Amino acid sequence: MNFGKAKKRETRILLILGLLVVLIFLFPFYIAIVQSFKTQLETAYNALALPGAFRLDNYYEAVEKISFSTSLKNSLIVTVTGVLLIVLCSSMSGYAIARNEGGYFKVLDRLFLSSIMVPFQVIMIPAYKLLKSLGLLNHLAGEIVMLVGISVAYSSFLYVGFVKSIPMELEDAARIDGCSRFQTFWVIVFPLLKPITATTAALHAMWLWNDFNISLIVLQKDAVRTLTIKQFYFFSEYASDYNMAFAAAMIGMIPILVTFLFLQKYLVSGITSGAVKG
Amino acid sequence: MKKKKKREVRSRLISFLFTLPSLFFFSLALLIPFVMGLNIAFTDWNGIAKEYHYVWFDNFIKIFSDSRIVNPVKNTVVYALLTVVFNNVVPLGLALLFTGIRGKAGNICRLVVFVPCCLSGVLSAFVWKFIYRFVLSALTGLSSPLGSTFWVLPGIMLIALWNGCGINMLIYYAALKNVPSDLYEAALIDGAGRLQLFRNVTIPMIMPAFTICVTLGFTNGLKEFGMVMSATGGGPARTSETISMYIYNNLYTYSKAGYGQAISLVFLLVLVVTGNLMTGFFRKREVDM
Repeated sequence: MNFGKAKKRETRILLILGLLVVLIFLFPFYIAIVQSFKTQLETAYNALALPGAFRLDNYYEAVEKISFSTSLKNSLIVTVTGVLLIVLCSSMSGYAIARNEGGYFKVLDRLFLSSIMVPFQVIMIPAYKLLKSLGLLNHLAGEIVMLVGISVAYSSFLYVGFVKSIPMELEDAARIDGCSRFQTFWVIVFPLLKPITATTAALHAMWLWNDFNISLIVLQKDAVRTLTIKQFYFFSEYASDYNMAFAAAMIGMIPILVTFLFLQKYLVSGITSGAVKG
Repeated sequence: MKKKKKREVRSRLISFLFTLPSLFFFSLALLIPFVMGLNIAFTDWNGIAKEYHYVWFDNFIKIFSDSRIVNPVKNTVVYALLTVVFNNVVPLGLALLFTGIRGKAGNICRLVVFVPCCLSGVLSAFVWKFIYRFVLSALTGLSSPLGSTFWVLPGIMLIALWNGCGINMLIYYAALKNVPSDLYEAALIDGAGRLQLFRNVTIPMIMPAFTICVTLGFTNGLKEFGMVMSATGGGPARTSETISMYIYNNLYTYSKAGYGQAISLVFLLVLVVTGNLMTGFFRKREVDM
């Protein structure tokens, strides 16, 4: 009896602590949302208070100043094309590595694995040089090539693990029925890879959208900048007009937060199965 | 027999074709730049000019007599240590707390802690810079830690913690959920207290999670670039400049690409050695089930 009471009290304490954690983690969001609706005067008077009225002026101004449609378009092109290419390439290479032993495939597997350790700074200077000589600097194509290239090793690794867990009988049966290797992969195997494809796509959508390192090197002209890198320059340029900058920040947050709500299941399963990289 | 062999070769050839698209992008983004980098590290290339000369090991020797590199190295190590401590203690604490909260409330807690992870470092740094500057002073009268030469690294670390600790929290949470409950029951029957339970049952059982979170946390801390760039740009007075930023500055500010490349190769060596040592250390302490 007494035990039950103590247990109940403990549950209540944990709940209160949990609520406290939630409030602390949401606080920066509150600050951001509130400033984005306030006037400069209101923020200067009290940064914590709610806005006096619901105004969208900051948003109108931010959309105009950040050339929102261009950077959003760039971000979308880079993320969507990048994720599609990553899934296409790494599902195929992951499958090939998982289903073949020794020789070339083992070397490739090792090469991919060890490349995950390589920090971006090691390739930054030569990649800049290479892209420049190929004429891909300040092109979205260059950005996509770089992002896909540094991602395929890791995502292939994710696919290798998954392919090894599915039995080969189905593929053999399809082969006997006269399917070519190519058909077997796309018609039989690829649909079976759906869970790992969802995880890979969700994780990379997040990483590509938020990429800073590569965009900083490759996208040095305004017209090709993605939302993340555009905001980086924007925040330092308009450092004094906080309210408009916060509206710009909100505009950047909303697409990723909405996507997150749809993808969270796959993100969580990806992360908890050890799918984290730097 | 011959026919079978032929089919085997054909099958491997098709598999080889399957790897080509990945290999194409991988080569362009990583393999070729890496090999080019080995070359650049031995030259005095300034990052722009068409011409350069081979200086062989001069760049590598210079690293050890470069007084400007001392600060970034120190900052990087301090930052990585701060990150690895706080980005494990806090997520583990949160995970322990959340395992005690059942049902929908627990789900919401985990979701909220994870939400900041999908924001870029640029956005997080911007919001927190404002909080440090205006909200912190309004509430406590303290000035922004990012302006202090002593508090700047902990200040940046705190932003990174808010931005990223949800990932480690999820890993620890999953690990804690996987500890079989009969182990706890057996220990309770043996008369173990709470602290003993945690030290002798929980910790050994979640060792694999430590291996991942501590090793990746430390190597990622050593690599930190984007967050520092967005939060302070290395200031005040270079007190938050990390080694990654120093390499970047050698290319874009100091026009010493060859030297920067040499540092990055030494940096890679340090990362690989540290990562392997740490993984080895933790793997030895994992228990087989």
